[in-house]
Amino acid sequence: MSQASRGAGSRYDPLMTSIQLTVNGRALQAEAEPATLLVELLRGPLGLTGTHVGCDTSQCGCCTVLLDGESVKSCSVLAVQAAGRDVTTIEGLAKDGQLHPVQEAFVACHGLQCGFCTPGMIMTATCLLSRNPRPSEAEIVHALDGNLCRCTGYVNIVAAVQQAARAINGEAV
Amino acid sequence: MQAQRFGSGHAVRRIEDPALVQGQGRFTDDVAPAGEVFLRFVRSNAAHATLVSVDVDAARAMPGVLAVYTGADLLAAGVQPIAFGPAFKRPDGQPMTAPPKRALAVDTVRFVGEAVVAVVAETRQAAEAAANAVLVEYDTLPSVSDAISALKPGAPVVWADAPDNISAELRHGDPAAVATAFAAAAHRVSLEVVNQRLAPSPMEPRSVLASFADERLTVRLSSQMPTGIRTGLVATIPGLSTDNVRVVVGDVGGGFGMKTGLYPEDIVVAFAALQLKRPVKWQAERVEDFLTAAHGRDLVSQAEMALDAQGKVLAIRARSLANVGAYASTTGVVIQLMIGPWVTTSIYDIGLIDLQQIAVLTNCAATGAYRGAGRPEAIYLVERLMDAAAREMGLDPAELRRRNMVRPEQMPYKNPMGMVYDCGQFEKMLAQGQALADWAGFGARREASKARGLLRGRGIATFLEWTGGNALEENVQVNVTGDGFIELTSATQAMGQGIATSYVQLAHDVFGVPIERIRVLQGDTDRANGFGSAGSRSLFTGGAAVRVAAERTVEHGKQLAADALEAPAADIEYRAGRFAVAGTDLGIDLFELAGRQTAARIVVDGSASAGAPSWPNGCHICEVEIDPGTGEVTVVAYASVNDIGRIVSPTIVRGQIEGGAVQGIGQALSERVAYDAESGQLLSASFMDYALPHADGFRAFKTVFDESVPCLTNSLGAKGVGELGTIGATPAVVNAVVDALADAGLGRSAERVQMPLTAETVWRALHGDFGPALFEMPVA
Repeated sequence: MSQASRGAGSRYDPLMTSIQLTVNGRALQAEAEPATLLVELLRGPLGLTGTHVGCDTSQCGCCTVLLDGESVKSCSVLAVQAAGRDVTTIEGLAKDGQLHPVQEAFVACHGLQCGFCTPGMIMTATCLLSRNPRPSEAEIVHALDGNLCRCTGYVNIVAAVQQAARAINGEAV
Repeated sequence: MQAQRFGSGHAVRRIEDPALVQGQGRFTDDVAPAGEVFLRFVRSNAAHATLVSVDVDAARAMPGVLAVYTGADLLAAGVQPIAFGPAFKRPDGQPMTAPPKRALAVDTVRFVGEAVVAVVAETRQAAEAAANAVLVEYDTLPSVSDAISALKPGAPVVWADAPDNISAELRHGDPAAVATAFAAAAHRVSLEVVNQRLAPSPMEPRSVLASFADERLTVRLSSQMPTGIRTGLVATIPGLSTDNVRVVVGDVGGGFGMKTGLYPEDIVVAFAALQLKRPVKWQAERVEDFLTAAHGRDLVSQAEMALDAQGKVLAIRARSLANVGAYASTTGVVIQLMIGPWVTTSIYDIGLIDLQQIAVLTNCAATGAYRGAGRPEAIYLVERLMDAAAREMGLDPAELRRRNMVRPEQMPYKNPMGMVYDCGQFEKMLAQGQALADWAGFGARREASKARGLLRGRGIATFLEWTGGNALEENVQVNVTGDGFIELTSATQAMGQGIATSYVQLAHDVFGVPIERIRVLQGDTDRANGFGSAGSRSLFTGGAAVRVAAERTVEHGKQLAADALEAPAADIEYRAGRFAVAGTDLGIDLFELAGRQTAARIVVDGSASAGAPSWPNGCHICEVEIDPGTGEVTVVAYASVNDIGRIVSPTIVRGQIEGGAVQGIGQALSERVAYDAESGQLLSASFMDYALPHADGFRAFKTVFDESVPCLTNSLGAKGVGELGTIGATPAVVNAVVDALADAGLGRSAERVQMPLTAETVWRALHGDFGPALFEMPVA
């Protein structure tokens, strides 16, 4: 059980709602105001700072998480909308000390430089591969269209998603 | 074997990545100390106005509000404006001038977004609500938002000390000799060239967290220059001294030059923390970065080139107006008045220049460093002129370039600005570039495109750039600890470029221990101070210092080992983490030896000084296709050969070139900071309106490195790499588009197109619409 201790929680708004949700496999109860965004809940009370905020207009995709397995921009979802649902953030991908294949491929392909867009990129790619294990290059590019990167020029990001697909499919990377 | 696989020159996995791919990075906003409070700015909605009244009473009374500061409050507290070094003069001989850059506006605002009031509250929401309760009354004044309009008679005056709106002016070269050369020239070409204003746009916006405890101010922020931030805070906030300020930088989500200097916001956050004795955080929203973080470029030029009958360039003449914004920064002015001209003659043996550079004040955000900083503008200008001259003379553009290149036997070569190139084999890069791009096969590809209804063009840029930021010395401290680590402390600053990995590789060369045993510490002014990271300097200055410090550590260790092993120092050998007495099995482990020293560590400093800037260079060749029905430009091929000297991290430098090239393509095709000419409002204040490249852009780069020309002025033989791709891509792409348009029947009139080459711009050009001549129209 996590309790609000930082960031988004407010002591001035009496309209706090208690919500139950699952985050990275753990059932949690959290307090949120009606206007609290999912990203604020994650970064603030839940302390999951791997989900980043790179813009204020839902264009950059740095805040992408999985909501019931579907990639969403957590700046565009209210915290209360996550009630009763399953949220996966970048912190929830690695299992038992092993990187998720998408994480592994981003490292192997130099798919990141500053790393700020990376969690959102990885979550978007993870969603894509869960739905479409053998995406074409065009499908990868289309899936990543809502995620901005300023460092890599996307060259190695697309290569990383292709490598992750091969790994997930048990093919030689 | 480990030295083979992890040392310099080998492609390794970055040590930065495991944390970053798991969301374990530590960016400024990820740090949330107990009791932190939140600062929010009220910003000017007018481009130019007198502040009639600033009413903060209602905001102060809002729940959760801890403080509200106005410009008058900071003035009364003795907070100083951000100073600039008046290195230049105005046309009337007076020193460079610009309005005082205050942390919060006093009396007058001069661009949209200028900070007027700061509110601090217990929560972000309370701060936002209180900021909305601040009432500012503006008496709007006429504004001007482009350099050409600002120089017209009767233009609104941005700052009274510059009634002509000229902050500073500098003329380089020999105007009389250039005029003579032009008069005698067989060929003359002229161009109007716009280098539009850009937003650097690192994905992490600016972020500052200041805390005051134990009589010390600690400022954590996203910056490329921690020491410069400390210096700036001490200079602007009363009561601060170098001793009682610590600047800490964690992970930086991209910098690109935008995070090099002190911003007004940094001062306000630090001031608030001092006043409130609480940790104060300001996390910029993206719109705030668009409004008030440094913009790049914004230079308009009238340029001319004179050539003899054989195509030898005799002279370049240009008059360039730099829109440096309202609160011109030293950096922004130096970039346009000095740094660009340093490389205008590029890799060509051109003896005569006449470059008039004018820094113009406008009601825009200040310009500053952005990837390339002056070199993209200069190289774009000369590479556009080269293509115009080739077209005028009916020569192959590569051949014209080849005829003018500085030859290896001319090295060291001094250009007309007095810059000395230590080395370079430019014809060799050109030849390789042409082969890589299949230069000879272009005609067939153009025909194939034509058969598909598309216009194909090819563009080339052969060029060099200046690196090092004129800060060529670095110090690195090595700490070998008894618990088994080698720690490298450097004042250079990681910002995503992977510099820590490169340093570890260099240290591994010397120590031969597993790379997991080597750590890099940066971003803490209590540990290391220096220039920071900018100008593609870190590797060839800091990396050289890593090697020196590591080698000195081993030498020092031999002395210590000699004592420990009771053997002559001359007999001690070091290999892979162990000192041994030659010819015996007597030895001691490096870390064990460290554990026996005072404080259980061996501490050695090492400095390295590069003798001069490095001059990375290359040949970039791009092909585009244009859909004549829509004007849409698609990059379809991009080949580059790059001379960055010796390479430490092959994977990293390829990422720098290709990622950098995509930024350069962004300038060529889509990016533009736009201000409304009438109101001075920023029209491109979100990623909806400012078009960064997306994943659907070009990615199939052919990138080659030629390591055969090591830099002669630093011990690594390395040349800077961080900005090269950005500098080369923009002219290569634009030259390709102009080539396609010229071939489509526009001829030399195609040279009138200006960036960004959006579908609309290209479609209009195809229909003969280039807009009015540049210097006849306001450049919005």
